[in-house]
Amino acid sequence: MRQRLARRLLSALLIVWAVTTVSFVISHVLPSDPARLVAGPQARPADVARIRTQLGLDRPIVIQYAHYLARLAHVGPTVADGAPVDPSHASCATVGPLHVDLGTSYQQRRPVVAILADRLPRTVFLGLAALVVQLALGVGAGVLAAAKRGSMLDHTAVGLSILGVSTPTFLLGVGLQFLLAHKLRLLPLDGFGRTFGEHAASIVLPALTLGIFGAAYYTRLVRDEMLDVLHDDHVRTARAKGLPERTVLTRHVLRNALLPLVTVVGMDLGALVGGAVVAEHLFRWPGVGALSVTAILDRDSPLIMGVVLVTSTAVVLANMLVDGVYALVDPRLRQ
Amino acid sequence: MRSIRARSKVTAAMHTSRVAVALALTCAVGTVALAPGCREPLAAPIAAASPGDALPRSGGTVHFASFADVRSLDPAVASEAFGGSLIAQMYAGLVEYDFDGSVVPDLAERFELSPDGRAYTFHLREGARFHDGDEVTADDVKRSIERALHPSTPNPFASFCENIEGYAAYAGGKADALSGVVVGGRYVVTIRLETPDATFLPILAQYALRPVCKSAGARFEATWAPCGAGPLKLLPGGWERGRSLTLVRHDGYFRAGLPRIDSVTFAFQMPIATQRFKFEQGELDAVKDLNQSDFVQFTSDPRWKAYGEFDAEKEIWGESMNVEHAPFDNIEIRRAVAAAIDRSKYRKLKAGLLHEANQVIPRDVPLYDPNFKGQEESYEAALAHMANAGYAYDPISKKGGYPGVIPYYTYPQSYPEYSGQVLQQQLATIGLRIELRLVSYPAYLALTRRRGRVAISPQGWQADYPDPSDFFEALFHSKSIADEDSNNTSFYKNAKVDDVLDRAHGELETATRARLYGEANRIICDDAPWAFAYASRRYEVHHPYLRGYRTHPVWAYFLRDAWLDRTPVKALAALGLLGAPTAPLGGLR
Repeated sequence: MRQRLARRLLSALLIVWAVTTVSFVISHVLPSDPARLVAGPQARPADVARIRTQLGLDRPIVIQYAHYLARLAHVGPTVADGAPVDPSHASCATVGPLHVDLGTSYQQRRPVVAILADRLPRTVFLGLAALVVQLALGVGAGVLAAAKRGSMLDHTAVGLSILGVSTPTFLLGVGLQFLLAHKLRLLPLDGFGRTFGEHAASIVLPALTLGIFGAAYYTRLVRDEMLDVLHDDHVRTARAKGLPERTVLTRHVLRNALLPLVTVVGMDLGALVGGAVVAEHLFRWPGVGALSVTAILDRDSPLIMGVVLVTSTAVVLANMLVDGVYALVDPRLRQ
Repeated sequence: MRSIRARSKVTAAMHTSRVAVALALTCAVGTVALAPGCREPLAAPIAAASPGDALPRSGGTVHFASFADVRSLDPAVASEAFGGSLIAQMYAGLVEYDFDGSVVPDLAERFELSPDGRAYTFHLREGARFHDGDEVTADDVKRSIERALHPSTPNPFASFCENIEGYAAYAGGKADALSGVVVGGRYVVTIRLETPDATFLPILAQYALRPVCKSAGARFEATWAPCGAGPLKLLPGGWERGRSLTLVRHDGYFRAGLPRIDSVTFAFQMPIATQRFKFEQGELDAVKDLNQSDFVQFTSDPRWKAYGEFDAEKEIWGESMNVEHAPFDNIEIRRAVAAAIDRSKYRKLKAGLLHEANQVIPRDVPLYDPNFKGQEESYEAALAHMANAGYAYDPISKKGGYPGVIPYYTYPQSYPEYSGQVLQQQLATIGLRIELRLVSYPAYLALTRRRGRVAISPQGWQADYPDPSDFFEALFHSKSIADEDSNNTSFYKNAKVDDVLDRAHGELETATRARLYGEANRIICDDAPWAFAYASRRYEVHHPYLRGYRTHPVWAYFLRDAWLDRTPVKALAALGLLGAPTAPLGGLR
């Protein structure tokens, strides 16, 4: 068991390393100049050149990569509360003597770890809210559609799921914003809020925008899986034993139909951390998705690398979590 | 078996058709619900509370939003025009741009120029205070300039100040102090120049050299909390990066009674549609980021017309042709392009916000000459230039012309993406074929400014400061050529032009400068390193209750004189003047 866990952790580390390395190479070989983007489109060449040197971008890419890796995780002085921070470790996050340094954003001139520490919890909050929407709407509609197969309810659920999957997120978001926030004024147009109540109200529109697509997909998935399981022998046996239909559906059908859903949810959980780009932009939700767009447009390599590191880690961890949940859902997999 | 299959086919068909009916019904409901948004009439402007002749009064918070973001609030390192406008509200300069674009004393109550034209002496206002309460002195001016120009400061504006005496030694790390900035007393500071320089005052009025509080120290530190002597100061914790900024009134501002507003908030990175929704709901007091349909709606609605204003036209656009790159190394081909383009077609792509342009200087930049003809459209002349170049083209048989296809680099989701298509059609009529290549904006910047890389591309230039030198020198002086990051994207080099521009740069007499720039303009239009196409401007509309607010020739926002004359929003809502009641979190103020 320990060996398996160690193997999984090692492979996870390798995946994250490979993803970050590829991202580093891509962001450094693209025909663009981060120094020019820091200096502005009208800065004079002499000023751009000076800024390029100050950012260390005049050094060979191999040296830059080696520096990045060396700083990424290193041992440094333990920082006591209130003690002055060594300037060479000012951009580090510290856990005792262990330092994690993702560098300093070219544009914001702030440590990337500090920027991500601000943004990541908000994206996780939004991702979880969207997941709740996906699961509540998707599983609910899927179960109902399967239970009432061939009825108008089933057709409506299937029709809506097709519509949900095929509607672009941006269009859906603008539509919801126009209807619920501008015309009916039930919700804020955008923003994050300052109190818990404001956060809760502000998250509804972006979570719906993000969640409806997934809900539509889950509806089809759950419906189809349940219809498959409904014909299995153990369901026929359960019915023959005289169990109520609700019990048959929830305990014997749904539980077996959930296995593929767990896989998809695991993948979605990781993707939501890095993929809420459109919803975050549209509703000015201050998360990692909106940040990543800005970072890419600015060719802000330290920030891009930080976002890639966080999102790839999230996807890998979510997959490991899914493997654990499999065992809970399906006892056969514990073997 | 066959009948079972047939039955299942029928069932599947029925299922499909029911799904289609359900889908169609859902689409219909969605369309009915959202369609009004496509032609939604504008809400009425929110009226001022007092009559038009009411005296200005203090108080209130103004709300603005922008699609853009602010990267830094430190004048020494800020790079973007939008952020510069906010910085200009927070940091007073020795001099400031007036509403006619001229440079007037500000933190300095007066200044004089030495007889040799090389030294400006500024007399500071006594008692002017920084946001932290300290008095602004000549030492602060010198420290701030040295901080901004120190070699360790990532200042994108530094080389604009290269004419200050001692700059080369100081910026090169060979001197500890900038010898050209001399403190002559607590309130007197002199800035000496290497040579007489007509651009010095407009450059000084920019934000980069504005005095900063003593807490900024002598060297740039990214963690410094912004602090200046301008009319508005940063609310502690009032800057959430990428989100919003809150500035509050600086009570120690040296102009008594100003600013009138208590505070202003800027929301950043707000989509244009959201801005319009918020503006109509009264959550924003003015809006500048309008799409074309919003612009048409606001300008054609008589209720709104009086509250909209165009800002200064200070941005020029054209087709930059690389004179080192075939086929544009042939002057006749460049002249053919300049004569072939129908500028009215460019203008129609964004009617109302663009003017046709045929010369270097946009019309709201000083020394613009409206009588100067510049490059003129003439199809016959274009064909003649093609023939002179050795690529005669017959428009009837469509034979001849330049044999190759020329890549044209532009970037997506931008006006040049569309204007490139206009150019493509127009050049095809004279036998020049271009192929549009869309690359990301950062790649566009890098590629089009790299020597020998791109033959033709759309290029624009926005005034860094209101003076023709900013356009001429950046775009057409040989000193702006570099192998990478060349601002002279046409790599145009003309010794005569260089000489005229250098003379104009140092000439302090306006009429002579106008004559010199006229001469440079004529040569450049004839040599055609650019085919000048259009000049752009923006439109801003505000609610009537935002008073004393008008567009500024340089700054995107200028709030010193603005005041709010608004009935409290809750009262308006109670009177039913804001439509349905706003949700508690909808931004009621």
